[in-house]
Amino acid sequence: METRSFWEATTPQRPVYPTLEGDLQVDVAIIGGGITGITAAHQLARAGKSVAVLEARRVGGGTTGWSTGNLYVPVGPYLHHIAKTRSQEVASTVAQARFTALNFIEQHAQQYSIDCHFARRPWYFFTQEEDMASTIEKEAETLQQAGMAAELVTQVPGLSFDSVKRAVRMNGQARFHPLRYVLGLAKATTQMGGQIYEHTTVLDLKEEDDHCLLTTTQGTVTCNQLIIATHIPIGIHTVQTVAAPYRSYVVAMRLKSGTYPDAYYWHNDKTHHAITTHSTNSMELDMLMIAGNHHKTGQASHQEYQHYFNELEAYARQHFDVASVEFRWSAQHYRSGDGVPYIGLTHKGAKRTYIATGFYADGLTYGTVAGIQLAEMIAGEKSPWLGAFDATRGTNLATAGQFIKENANVAAQYLKDIPAGQASHFSDIEPGEGKTIEVDSEKLAVYRDEHSQLHICSAVCTHMKCIVNWNNAEKTWDCPCHGSRFMIDGSVIEGPAILNLERKAIDPRTGHLVDSGGKTSGEREINNPIT
Amino acid sequence: MNLIYTSIGFFALAALLGMYLLTFVLRGKETPKAIVFSHGPMAVVGLVLLIIYIAKGGPNPWESLVLFVLAALGGLYMVSRDLTGRPIPKVLAVGHGLLAVGGFVLLLVFAFGN
Repeated sequence: METRSFWEATTPQRPVYPTLEGDLQVDVAIIGGGITGITAAHQLARAGKSVAVLEARRVGGGTTGWSTGNLYVPVGPYLHHIAKTRSQEVASTVAQARFTALNFIEQHAQQYSIDCHFARRPWYFFTQEEDMASTIEKEAETLQQAGMAAELVTQVPGLSFDSVKRAVRMNGQARFHPLRYVLGLAKATTQMGGQIYEHTTVLDLKEEDDHCLLTTTQGTVTCNQLIIATHIPIGIHTVQTVAAPYRSYVVAMRLKSGTYPDAYYWHNDKTHHAITTHSTNSMELDMLMIAGNHHKTGQASHQEYQHYFNELEAYARQHFDVASVEFRWSAQHYRSGDGVPYIGLTHKGAKRTYIATGFYADGLTYGTVAGIQLAEMIAGEKSPWLGAFDATRGTNLATAGQFIKENANVAAQYLKDIPAGQASHFSDIEPGEGKTIEVDSEKLAVYRDEHSQLHICSAVCTHMKCIVNWNNAEKTWDCPCHGSRFMIDGSVIEGPAILNLERKAIDPRTGHLVDSGGKTSGEREINNPIT
Repeated sequence: MNLIYTSIGFFALAALLGMYLLTFVLRGKETPKAIVFSHGPMAVVGLVLLIIYIAKGGPNPWESLVLFVLAALGGLYMVSRDLTGRPIPKVLAVGHGLLAVGGFVLLLVFAFGN
């Protein structure tokens, strides 16, 4: 079964925005048209700034449109962990910022009549294991200290799990259709004068003393301020040493009973599963989603990629009356060591360039937080969240261990780049399979399609030269170091890489490399199934 | 003298890997990063041992140390260029190697010359 996002499949009448051709001058340029970039653009346009969003693919087509559509105050790394690694004050600020973002989304969905199925509902966090009970108790306590109405409960309505040991409930959380929402907010932004460009890849960006200059595939953009809202900053950036890339998986199913629980659940035992429900075309719930199985991008074996989906489906069948599996997809997230995103000026000396990253798997709410905060900073307003999310804070003693672990992991990936092929010959590659092999002292990423045609690129990631690995679930090349991902033709999908993998050709008679004309920067539209 | 001999051992291993890397740079190929990140640390261990030996006082191979330090700076610069996608100038790669070989020869002369 191919991977396909439920949100992409259930978004009608997707507007098409033009490609930027020529030069442009604006107050603020935003790279990335996901929930972060569009929220920031909306706020800035409303504040009277001239703003342009430059999206390399389609608006909402990155992680926003491949998420799970849940809005909630709690966070995956746990607020009590943040209270420990930073402080209770930071944990409270994070909770309050997310609470504000949730209200922001509701208010704007109503204001612009965006048909995004926004509905309030409770969040439950529960366990069936005694040794996880203290985690739930600590999280409830930290939420309460942050002023949130979390309460320990004994029942988890809507589910039929035996012997729940501990559970916490927080009312007033929400579900929505993230892609429809972002497209609605984008429309409102353009109506206020904001400009949005799709299929516009930024190839270079510079902060000068009195302006920023962006070079795109077909023009340049000069701006006073720049927001890099690409999930992780593109190019080489120090924040990439403290924000590690992970993938997680989602399976969407219909139930035989037609009865879907109206809540968002975290089930934490030995493994973590998120259980949620959504609606296809109305407010009526008709789809169950199970999410989980996080792993570092590019670091699973071929068998494991399918296993991740299979495990989620097996979990669903164990606990629900599954009628059919309708969709399965996966998405990327970036984890900071202390569990708090990096939002703000890109480094201590920067005056005009802003970033937002490290959202963990809580990005729809955090993306909104980032959009609001960055717009406030650019408008010269004092953001109450600035200290908590400061993007220049780096790491601290409490998170040094995590920092070392993640970067040692990156070093270990480099050490796998030994001069020895992983497959001896092209004939070892079956149809539908991809492998990295070595020819003429070059590592190649080779995919053989169902018609037995070979698609060959350099296997050297264009970001920082790790060797990419094959992801057989999504048919992509994933970099295990910093999370850049590429299509089988070498086009960048996401991550910090700007340039596509260099395309290669082989002389079929000799089996040697043919000079195929160098790099393929900026070409992302070719046979690209991910819109 | 044990420190010097161990240092020579690490420099010799680093030199072998370095020569292998040079073949990639001269052919315009991507360097295998496992070799890059083995070559550098091995040379650093050799250099640290040499510095410890010199710090102990007595006759010492100062000239060798200077050449190795210059070679190390060149190596760091080349790694930074390599990882950030900028080509490594072949002259720089050869110069780095010559400096290291020079330092190595002087070290051998110091250790075994008498």
